[in-house]
Amino acid sequence: MSEATQGTVPRRASSPVSAAQRSSRPPLFAVRAAPAPMVRRALGLGSVLLIVGLWWAVTFGSPEDRFVSPVILPSPVDVVTSFPTLLRERALIQSVAATLTRVFIGFGLAVLVGVPLGILCGAWRVVEAAGAPLALFGRNVPVAALIPLTILWFGIDETQKVMFIFIACLPFVYSDAVRAIAGVHDRYVETAQTLGATSSQIVRKVLVALALPDIYDSLRHLFGMAFGYIMLAELINAQYGLGFLLMTSQRRGLSEHIILILIIIGFLAYGIDRLLYFFQRGLFPHRALEP
Amino acid sequence: MTTQAASQDGKAERELPNVVEFRSVTKRFGENTVIRDVAFTVADRPDRGEFVSILGPSGCGKSTVLRLIAGLRPHHPPTTGEVLVIGGSVEGPGPDRGMVFQDYTSFDNRSVEDNVAFGLECRGVPARERRERAREWIARVGLDVKRDARKYPAELSGGMRQRVAIARTLILSPRIILMDEPFGALDPTTRLKMQELLIDLWRDAQATVFFVTHSIEEAVYLGDRVYVFSSAPGTLIRQMEVPPSKCPPQDMLHQPHFLGMVRELRGTLETLEAHVIDAVE
Repeated sequence: MSEATQGTVPRRASSPVSAAQRSSRPPLFAVRAAPAPMVRRALGLGSVLLIVGLWWAVTFGSPEDRFVSPVILPSPVDVVTSFPTLLRERALIQSVAATLTRVFIGFGLAVLVGVPLGILCGAWRVVEAAGAPLALFGRNVPVAALIPLTILWFGIDETQKVMFIFIACLPFVYSDAVRAIAGVHDRYVETAQTLGATSSQIVRKVLVALALPDIYDSLRHLFGMAFGYIMLAELINAQYGLGFLLMTSQRRGLSEHIILILIIIGFLAYGIDRLLYFFQRGLFPHRALEP
Repeated sequence: MTTQAASQDGKAERELPNVVEFRSVTKRFGENTVIRDVAFTVADRPDRGEFVSILGPSGCGKSTVLRLIAGLRPHHPPTTGEVLVIGGSVEGPGPDRGMVFQDYTSFDNRSVEDNVAFGLECRGVPARERRERAREWIARVGLDVKRDARKYPAELSGGMRQRVAIARTLILSPRIILMDEPFGALDPTTRLKMQELLIDLWRDAQATVFFVTHSIEEAVYLGDRVYVFSSAPGTLIRQMEVPPSKCPPQDMLHQPHFLGMVRELRGTLETLEAHVIDAVE
């Protein structure tokens, strides 16, 4: 912990040492040293303020005199004041609801199919060997390339959007579940065997039980990815949806709405991630104890 | 699992089959011979088991011997030879042969109580009964039932986790207890306490213990017998009886015959390790 302090103090014993060096906390720029929570927050806030400040500076003044044209980049004030029109005239709430519904259903299906399949394949590697080429293929096909096929198969309505998310996420959900199960140390399996556990007991009570927190954690990250994919699907024949809103904003030259929607997407993703994280701590109390 | 007819062995004078018997057991992985021609017999002593310490430099196949008794792959089955447990050949792992490892000892998702009750749960013992028995064992291994039973392994020290692992094994009353350097990662003071605990528990358990260790003192202090293995390939080169001592275990450490045995074993091992560059962990 205090390696850095020990390193500096004895050498410079005669010269005055600042309070910061004396404290048990390593210097700010020590390799891998975590800054204090307050410092961390201040730095994060500082970088956001810096970007907003730059943004404000380059878009300062009346529309004609600006350094950057409002068509390219509207000013922060333009963006904030455009919120009521986005909310009322362009039905923001319906779009948020439509996007979330599609992601929840599509991703939910991917979880319902991918996790049990991944558990099965993680526990019985012969089954995994059979599925390996498919999973590799699925993860490496560019998602956008799936759109034409899903349109052929599922039309251009809601089903297509949900199935697009399902197909795009399934290989990732599956692979992460396999990896989590395979990642459980052999020692646990051996311990269970010498305690008389049957194969199915080992899968249920050891492999799944120990891998579940990791599976949940990776689902949390993959959900963020699914949220990104839905924007692609919503560029085609959508009534509502954030992707649809973005596209129509661009067509109508509403750059302030584009910026605003991007910010809203950021906050939505953050909110969902925190919510899932909150449940994670409740579901797996033993994990919350680990440093 | 190990209930074949017993006395294929003409030498058996009693009706009781040997607890463990290795008949010139060799295990190879490809070109690499892990153990070669290992043969030994541990007889059944009614009403009391035997404590066998296994000593030897790193990579001498000590763990292989344990895993062959446990029936754990990939060491099980042997390439040639036979491993017999209570007269029957080993088919695979089972709760009659409990194993305590050095690392990854507790199921991190289970509380202490649920860890200890794991084997009972697998047997289908009702929740209420297994809880009672688990709590009884938590107390017997020196943990505080009130304070520790609901804790998760992440909240425990290394020594406490080993206590949990020992309780989890002994609760099933195994005939054989296999311990693979269980105290190797503990600090000396904790280690001493764990050794005392093990001596107390083992006397009641009436099981045969196979205890792999790097520590000569530990091997002599705990064992009725000490097996010395040489490395590459692992062979059993020496068996030593430790004369039973009347004095309390703590005083044994200072007894001349104890110190003499330790010195002798150290000599044997040093000769062995002259061939091996670094045998320390």
